[in-house]
Amino acid sequence: MDFMAYLKDSTMGSLNSVFSMAKIIIPLMIAMEILKDAEILEKISKRLKPISKLFDISNESVFPLLIGMVFGLVYGAGIIIESVEEENLGKKDLYIVMIFLVACHAIFEDTFIFAAVGANLWLLFITRLIVALIVAYFSSKAIEGVSKDIQKYG
Amino acid sequence: MYKESAFNGFKKGLFTLWKLSKIVVPVYFFVTFLSYTPLLNSISNFFEPAMKILGLPGEAAVPLVLGNFINLYAGIGAMASLSLSAKQATILAIMLSFSHSLLLESVVVKKTGVSLALIVLTRITLAVLSGIIFNLIL
Repeated sequence: MDFMAYLKDSTMGSLNSVFSMAKIIIPLMIAMEILKDAEILEKISKRLKPISKLFDISNESVFPLLIGMVFGLVYGAGIIIESVEEENLGKKDLYIVMIFLVACHAIFEDTFIFAAVGANLWLLFITRLIVALIVAYFSSKAIEGVSKDIQKYG
Repeated sequence: MYKESAFNGFKKGLFTLWKLSKIVVPVYFFVTFLSYTPLLNSISNFFEPAMKILGLPGEAAVPLVLGNFINLYAGIGAMASLSLSAKQATILAIMLSFSHSLLLESVVVKKTGVSLALIVLTRITLAVLSGIIFNLIL
């Protein structure tokens, strides 16, 4: 094994990767922090009633959903646990929000970092969003069906 | 007006970059090391048949395993150290974005009170299905 070539390859390659990620992450984090402090998501979530209707969840569920989608699962889960404790989120709301979020969270951060290592940004972004919408929609229908059966047959 | 937010964001960006580099750089060194030995070839040959269904080369198993068992950044570091085509990188990215950090994130998911098995199963199914589908359409 050519050790010097290995060292050169690894050092140059990894520094290059870190640098291309830096170019993406730092501007993105600045934008996200402003987004968070301007409370834009709170304002948007109030206008997203069609989403809560589509999934048949409470209007209060849209905000944790949006937070998790943009800022990630760990931060989102904090907001969700809070909402559950304050009883703003019912059992069905919680399940739909979590199912949506495991399919699609930290959508900007992860997508942009993947783009830095060669993936197609838009394809990745749109796929995650659409798949999360579809999975959450059918889960909502399934939960509805089960609860109807329970009412019917006790 | 949002000067402070921008500054905090900058700090967070550096912090995230540091967190990421701590994983990406060692993983990059590790996978490149494998590629200098016959090991990566053996791994590649072993996984070749399974990865073919996803339109990926055998060695793409390395980022899939690291991404799911360690975390997304480890998967990304491994991705960066392999030479993949745009199609392969996109398929891998889609698969990893549905299913990653299963050990760590499962703990978070469980805390909210949702069934863990359901969530893990959903994620892996999504990853495999999306891999197969995108291999066919891309």
